[in-house]
Amino acid sequence: MMEESDAALVTRAREGDQDAFRLLVERHSVRLFQLAFRMTSNEQDAEDLVQETFLRAYKQLSRFQSRAGLGTWLYRIAANCSLDLLRRQKRRGDQERAVEFDSEEAFPAILSGAPAPDQQVYHGEVRQKVESAMRELTPMERTAFVLRHFEGQSIEEIGSALGVGPGATKQSIFRAVQKMRRALEPLVNAIP
Amino acid sequence: MNHPTEEQLILYHYGEVEGRDLIASHLQGCESCRTSYQALQRVLEAVNSMPVPQRSESYGAEVWRQVSGQIVKATAPRRLDFWQLFQWPRWSVAGALALLVLIAFLAGRFWPQRDSTTEPLIAKSTQPISRQARERVLLKEIGDHLERSQLALIELINSKTNGVVDISLEQSLARQLVDVNRLYRQSALRLGDAGMASVLEDLERTLIEISNSPSQLSSTEFAEIRRRIDTDDTLFKVKVVGSQVRAKERETARELAAKRS
Repeated sequence: MMEESDAALVTRAREGDQDAFRLLVERHSVRLFQLAFRMTSNEQDAEDLVQETFLRAYKQLSRFQSRAGLGTWLYRIAANCSLDLLRRQKRRGDQERAVEFDSEEAFPAILSGAPAPDQQVYHGEVRQKVESAMRELTPMERTAFVLRHFEGQSIEEIGSALGVGPGATKQSIFRAVQKMRRALEPLVNAIP
Repeated sequence: MNHPTEEQLILYHYGEVEGRDLIASHLQGCESCRTSYQALQRVLEAVNSMPVPQRSESYGAEVWRQVSGQIVKATAPRRLDFWQLFQWPRWSVAGALALLVLIAFLAGRFWPQRDSTTEPLIAKSTQPISRQARERVLLKEIGDHLERSQLALIELINSKTNGVVDISLEQSLARQLVDVNRLYRQSALRLGDAGMASVLEDLERTLIEISNSPSQLSSTEFAEIRRRIDTDDTLFKVKVVGSQVRAKERETARELAAKRS
């Protein structure tokens, strides 16, 4: 049986069909979680963001225009929720708590399959550095960078999601990469 | 071509740069740029190693269980009817009207004046360009500049304060913005737009202060810079003028499009 399109489900959901909205939640949750985790580096925060995104999306369904694509629209809402959360955390100065999940626990298969202990140590170190460099980014830099680097969104899409122009979007991405480079280059280039 | 800048290499990596073929052929022929680009690629590949915890296929169902209760409580989404405006609380209608009046006031005050005796910043082209088209380009440039400045100030204000604050990146950006800002301020003065010139002057002062500060600030020094930005309302003014410039730019674009059609 053919899967019902996002647009058709949105139409039904707008008419109050909660089952249609349930299908949308089930379809998009995993990818939204990945995005949210990359934004926050914290599983609990990421899960909260996914829920908040769907609640906001439900309330704003009437504003959704199908030409944008539901995935893009949900990403836009999630990016804004993340931006708000990161700014709140920054104000509270509690970003240090951001990395709480244990890589080894979450990736037993990958780690057990690692070929050599020294490589394992190196990869662990790189991951730690990446996480710590990501935490050094400002909320805007981090959001723009994640949307560009991991989600492959265009400068135009990111700017439109974050409510800034292409110049400012490029600048945020550029500064994010500069910071990542500053943090990671010594380690990455140390390996022949 | 000249050696591409770091920014161009980053945009090239993401496929967002203009003149992509030129950069590609430059990278083939220039070893130092190629080395720099390869180093950038290695860093960005390393970023991909950032792990994301897996979620099972049933995760979507779990999310639904958590949000469905709140969705049931919410009313079904409806389109906002024009007449519903009159059901809004009086204070919010009054607030909206006050905001409109404020925007109208500021718009009249800050709009660039059309003065045929003065020259805007844009260089004359050999092709005849209408005044409106030139105005649109100028507005776009100023709008971009104000947006960049606004973002730079927001980023600075939000910098991490773990004892010493490193503002070297913000400083290098502020130095670039100061020079451009000076040109726009002078242009605004020539156009007789005192309001715009005054905001740009405030902005310039702030940018110069950031540029001339030490790149490593103590938390007290940093708090002082932040306090001054807040006290002078620089950010707010830049935001207001920036929105006006953008609105005017859109209006000019519409007029130009209407003329062409």
